[in-house]
Amino acid sequence: MQEELQAGFPILTFLTFFPLLGAMAIWAMKDEDLIKKSALGIAVLELIVAAWLLLGFVPDTAAMQYAERYNWIPQLGISYHMAVDGISILFVGLTAFLFVLLVLYAWDTVKVYPKAFFMSLLALETTIMGIFASIDLILFFVFWELMLIPSYFMIKLWGLGSQCQYAALKYVLYTLLGSVFMLVGFCLLDLNYYSVTQTYSFDLVELLSVPIPIDQQLLIFWLIFMGFAFKAPVFPFHSWLPDALTQGPIPTSVLLAGIKMGTYGFLRFSFPLLPDASSDGTVVAILMTLGLIAIVYGAIVAIIQADFRRLLVFSSISHLGFVVIGLFALNFQGIQGSLLTMINLGFTTAGLFFLAGFVYERLGHTNVQECSGLAKKMPLLATFFLIIGMASIGLPGTNGFVGEFLILLGAFQAYWLYGAIAVTGVIFAAAYFLWFYERAIFGPLKASLPAGLKDLNTREWGIGLALSIMIFWIGLYPSPFLRMINGSVQEVVDRLNHGTVAMETTNTHVLSQVISD
Amino acid sequence: MTFNLALTGSDLLLLLPEIFLTIWLCVVLSVDFSMRKVSNETLAHLSIGGLLITTFILFWFDQADITGALFKNMYVLDHLAIYFKIMILIATAMVILISIDYVKSFRFFKGEYYFMVVMSAIGMMFMASANDLLSVFVTLEFSTFGFYVLVAYLRDDVRSSEAGLKFFILGVFAAGLLAYGISLVYGETGTLIFPEMASAQGSYGLAIGFILIFAALGFKIGAVPFHSWIPDTYQGAPTPVTAFLSIAPKAAAIAMLIRMFYVGLASFKPMWVLLFVCAAIISMTYGNVVAIAQKNIKRLLAYSGIAQIGTVMVGLAAGTKMGSDAMLFYLLTYLFANIGAFAVIIAVSSAIKSDEIEDYSGLNRRSPFLAAALFLFLLSLAGVPPLAGFIGKLYLFVAAIEEELYTLLIVGLINIVISMYYYLIVVKKMYISEPIDSSPVPVSAPIKAVIYFCVAGTLFLGIYPKAFIDWAAAATLMFSNIAKTTAAAPALTSLVGG
Repeated sequence: MQEELQAGFPILTFLTFFPLLGAMAIWAMKDEDLIKKSALGIAVLELIVAAWLLLGFVPDTAAMQYAERYNWIPQLGISYHMAVDGISILFVGLTAFLFVLLVLYAWDTVKVYPKAFFMSLLALETTIMGIFASIDLILFFVFWELMLIPSYFMIKLWGLGSQCQYAALKYVLYTLLGSVFMLVGFCLLDLNYYSVTQTYSFDLVELLSVPIPIDQQLLIFWLIFMGFAFKAPVFPFHSWLPDALTQGPIPTSVLLAGIKMGTYGFLRFSFPLLPDASSDGTVVAILMTLGLIAIVYGAIVAIIQADFRRLLVFSSISHLGFVVIGLFALNFQGIQGSLLTMINLGFTTAGLFFLAGFVYERLGHTNVQECSGLAKKMPLLATFFLIIGMASIGLPGTNGFVGEFLILLGAFQAYWLYGAIAVTGVIFAAAYFLWFYERAIFGPLKASLPAGLKDLNTREWGIGLALSIMIFWIGLYPSPFLRMINGSVQEVVDRLNHGTVAMETTNTHVLSQVISD
Repeated sequence: MTFNLALTGSDLLLLLPEIFLTIWLCVVLSVDFSMRKVSNETLAHLSIGGLLITTFILFWFDQADITGALFKNMYVLDHLAIYFKIMILIATAMVILISIDYVKSFRFFKGEYYFMVVMSAIGMMFMASANDLLSVFVTLEFSTFGFYVLVAYLRDDVRSSEAGLKFFILGVFAAGLLAYGISLVYGETGTLIFPEMASAQGSYGLAIGFILIFAALGFKIGAVPFHSWIPDTYQGAPTPVTAFLSIAPKAAAIAMLIRMFYVGLASFKPMWVLLFVCAAIISMTYGNVVAIAQKNIKRLLAYSGIAQIGTVMVGLAAGTKMGSDAMLFYLLTYLFANIGAFAVIIAVSSAIKSDEIEDYSGLNRRSPFLAAALFLFLLSLAGVPPLAGFIGKLYLFVAAIEEELYTLLIVGLINIVISMYYYLIVVKKMYISEPIDSSPVPVSAPIKAVIYFCVAGTLFLGIYPKAFIDWAAAATLMFSNIAKTTAAAPALTSLVGG
């Protein structure tokens, strides 16, 4: 049983539901200026509380921290159990950070129904925070599903493309299809727990204490895989992503590409709960193959894209391949690198989407050919493009390097061929980004660019600067971040090596419970 | 065999809710006849008052554990019956509230409308207590008579008359099947009382008899392939009657099915599990797929209701205590979401005089309250967490997984995705499409009250379901000894008896 540290104040509940309360408050407001200021205030306060959470986080331990636990539906073993550990803590920080930038981005780019937009955005923050703070499987699932509703409306109502209706529906139905299978997997875990202890439980910490037969594990693994693979999205479940990200508004693209909930799910639930299935030879081979295909396929498709946002979509699929490779290398470096890369993508891929948004606001499109010569008109934009783009392709000194280096190290340790193929992805990434940069940012000044093209304004400049600071901080001094995640990563690796709890120890555990009762 | 019908005071106590409500109803009817000045609202409020008092009596019975059987075990009042009776009474009270405005548009028989509604409710209360096949027949017909009249209440409307005729002819046909099935079962077992059937030997006659009875009850709950009356009847009937029809008789018939199969046929479980698995799969799939093509919101809810009943039958297919708990809880969540959705439809159709989904365009702009409420109810019907419908579906599916009914489960889950599709079409119309006419949609006070109550129920059952699951679990305590089947292979031979 994992150790749990309690907090005096229900800080995770606050972090989760405060944006929702804020959204309700905004509902009552009439004045547009007040709405924007309140939304910003809420997001900033959320970030401050999240920063305080990170500062108080005890590093180098696998303990669940800031735990809160109440029974919710005891008949089925569902509890309201919130806690963070090394796996989820950085995601909480990243989410709070990105939402501040998103509010700033939306400040004057959202022109229709601004009130509804900020309400949806804050509601979305609640659900994403909930996803990372939930330890109970059903509670996690609740937030996981709820997330679809605000994002559905955002893609549909504020989508940039003409096909946004179709994209929104496709996104919801694909994700839902995956998650219903995931729910079955969760229920099987619940029933397996029942068969051992005669009580129901969906609580991750409790589920970790019982053995699960290997055939059950494999079944559950694939069921849960469906949910996470669609959301992540792992190749070949990615077909909703280009639609949702290019038809939807920039904020949903930032979130769907920047916050890697799908791969987080693997690390949070699949690995610890189903260690024998996760390290099963066939499973690893399949996942590694999917990851490698995603890396190469995503990168090659990205090269030929004429639209910058589509290029970003495929680069994001390629990066996700790296994350999968790192995870299924099943060793410390690989998993550590994957976790860090998931966070990094929240700064790099998400950052590039912000920049794409700045271009879109000015030109009404993100066509690479049509932007030629942007550097002459917008030097500041070109600078940020270079910084964030270099981080995205993993230049030493930036955060991308640390993550990808660890992943490749892990992959080589696991099996040299995996590492060798994955490395080509880095080269492809350099190719598509540099070629894009050459054509769009440099290149001869296009006559069709509007004459009064202005460079970044203060808000946009601030967004770029905040992202750049994080990129260099993690790139040059990653150890505080790594220390936060190390304890939990080690715990996961240990479980992967030892499998689920053996039968004997569980029996003694049950016995000791009986005695203590 | 001699029948001794001497009733004692304590026997009568068990019948108190029905007796009280009948007397109250007669008083209300006399008030309508004798005092011309009494308004339509007053009659409605009087009827609701009676229903509420009856509900309190039943709550008291539930708390004080006043239970027992009457008339040689034909009528039983246990916690299961009390649960369903309370559900029926609450549904009836809400239906009367949403009827008040609608009734004003009738040209004749305004007062009798309430009489018919409450009459049917009394019939359904008896249904929940029916413990042998004769009382199944009598109570089923009793409750349906009220509906025959109610469905055809708009007598100048061709659709309503058509609906009434269809409902009547198929209803009578179902009654015929029921009578035939009962005669076969009696012939094979020599008894009509459920608990006594438990020791019966399997035979073909018994199997056919029960399939016929299932067909008759399938007609009541609208399970495929006995559903063909549902869409036309739902569309043609006055909308409050449709709302009533969509939940109360279904709940009462499910109570009968639970009693019949859990108590009477417990020993043939592998056989009827197969029956319910098939019925659930067909109903869910057919209802959801056909719902996609609907243009009329009442027909959409009719087909979605067919699918929902398929979902409820997942619990019957599991055939365990957990399955029955889940069904009871799910029906409660369905009650709130469905009556709430119909309340919104009544409010909208009284303003725009249309039930076409196309005319819901931009409802958000015309009445944010109605749009938000309908959005919530549809999400609950689709099973989006943390609303009531999600917890209900989760409970049902856990029960099915425990019985290893994986085919049923996969079909059920895919159906959730399909249903999300057509619910989202309605949501899209309300929130995204531009309104044709942007005048606000007024909502009358009683309908508003019902919508608020249903919103509260949908949220509360989702966020704090513990108390209600406890209640449902207590109501089905008598099934805790039903064995879990581990071998899923249907043992047909056990029914045929070698």
